[in-house]
Amino acid sequence: MSYIEVNHITKSFKVAKKKSGLKEAFKSFFKRDYKIVEAVKDISFSIEKGEIVGYIGPNGAGKSTTIKILSGILTPNSGKCKVGKMTPWLDRKEYVRKIGVVFGQRSQLWWDIPAEDTFDLLKDIYDIPEERYLKTKEELVEKLNLKDIINVPVRQLSLGQRMRCEIAASLLHEPDILFLDEPTIGLDAISKQLVRDFIKRINKEKKTTIILTTHDMSDIDALAKRIILIGKGQVLYDGSLQKLKNNYANKKYIKVNTKDAINIKMKGVLKKVKEKDGYAFIIDSKQLNISDFLNVISKQVQIEDVEIDNENLDNMIVNLYEDLKI
Amino acid sequence: MKVYFKSLGLHLKSLLEYKASFITTFLSQILVFFSYYFTILALFTRFDNIKGFTLYEVLLCFGVIQFGFAFNESFARGIDRFDKLIIHGEFDRILLRPKNIILQAAGYDEDFAKVSRLLQAIIVIVIALVNLDIAWSPLKLITLLLMMVAAVIVFFSIFLLAASYCFITVQGLEVTNVFTDGGKHMAQYPIGIFKKGFVWFFTFIIPYAFVNYYPLLYFIGKINNPIYAFSPLLVFLYLIPCILIFYRGIKKYTGAGS
Repeated sequence: MSYIEVNHITKSFKVAKKKSGLKEAFKSFFKRDYKIVEAVKDISFSIEKGEIVGYIGPNGAGKSTTIKILSGILTPNSGKCKVGKMTPWLDRKEYVRKIGVVFGQRSQLWWDIPAEDTFDLLKDIYDIPEERYLKTKEELVEKLNLKDIINVPVRQLSLGQRMRCEIAASLLHEPDILFLDEPTIGLDAISKQLVRDFIKRINKEKKTTIILTTHDMSDIDALAKRIILIGKGQVLYDGSLQKLKNNYANKKYIKVNTKDAINIKMKGVLKKVKEKDGYAFIIDSKQLNISDFLNVISKQVQIEDVEIDNENLDNMIVNLYEDLKI
Repeated sequence: MKVYFKSLGLHLKSLLEYKASFITTFLSQILVFFSYYFTILALFTRFDNIKGFTLYEVLLCFGVIQFGFAFNESFARGIDRFDKLIIHGEFDRILLRPKNIILQAAGYDEDFAKVSRLLQAIIVIVIALVNLDIAWSPLKLITLLLMMVAAVIVFFSIFLLAASYCFITVQGLEVTNVFTDGGKHMAQYPIGIFKKGFVWFFTFIIPYAFVNYYPLLYFIGKINNPIYAFSPLLVFLYLIPCILIFYRGIKKYTGAGS
């Protein structure tokens, strides 16, 4: 029995049909047509204690809905979910003490006052004993480098600073599970790195189970060994990131800088594009060895420079979404 | 409760960041209030009484209802503006806290400018009491206090009902305003002066009559049956189904997108 067990969860919403135009808006004021949208259909997975799981999928796939069900905010129409011995939406009060949630697009900090005041309020909300609170706070302040920013009204903080405070606020009660819904959205490279390092660190030190949704594949690359891919409300892939990469990463991007014209017809060359100072190729490395390919070309033309890239994770996901038709 | 009062303190702290804005809204509330007040005064320059109720009896009624309404607007603003809480997704955050949902929602937003109305309502009640010839007794004092508390409870109940309605649809909230704002305007006068249908409605569907009519009759000595003094207690019973309906609504909650 795993730590988190999700079995056949389904959640549908009633959405009012909207038509454009003033006349239609007027009509719908009196009589609305509804349609049922299934945000999540029959989702099952399980997660072990201490895992970091990347939960990915395109917009509207049902990521946030799943997170909300798992964190006890929404009650699903059907299905079971056990975390430890608890069902999130039934044992809400007890359950939420064990979880922390960061919504990247929404703040839980009070806008006009320093973050530290919010922290103090959270201490009472979670009934954290004074001593433990001070200790945890000190630890978080040190690890997230918050010393100079928790006494400034939140509205004056930069997005990166605010996000660090948000994460600290979600961890004051030392939760067992941390849900991160797009934690690096809109952050600059340094802030992203800081947030990622910190997430790795608490996972290692405190054995916090982390469930992460993001559109930033470098987040996933840096943090999650396992991903769950969902689309149109269903689980499409659940397994290691490496395996997925192996399946999709056999496409290599090779850029050859040369002044001469290249004429090549080989099995395994998927794409050839003429560029300003040379050619760009996409090669299937299963069918065609890279060194063989370069060998042939170097005999033909004078090569000035070569650039070889694995197709990056973002492209891989686009291909994956296309293959799965989501 | 501790968390509620602490968040009240933080709201005050936030407010102090914008002092000038607070003072102007606080003062503008006085103007709004007195426009209501003068309507009643103007009415009584033409008529001595309305169906047997004198100016100060009506003012007492007005004061009590305004007190209950302003109290909720000041200290339970989050329930009053529950649609905003849902639309902006802040209700999600409330559900993530291991504390009572209704208290959290009430404390989520406070409007201290409305405290201005609260003070004015108390002033009006005092003016009415000074000018009324009340045969004071301990029971009369209890009646008055019960009326004021019941006024707070009745509006809280109705705000809760309106909030529950947000779980079904976040639009069309004007419907509920008919019962809160509209009801408030009617209840400023002793309900008995209206037609029977209204009296029935405001007794059994929304129990304003138990706040400002039946106990008022006892208080000003129109009726001597002490049962009337305790009629505001029925309003407390009214709160129970309102709370239950609210919790039913939460099960239907669908969130507001990502």
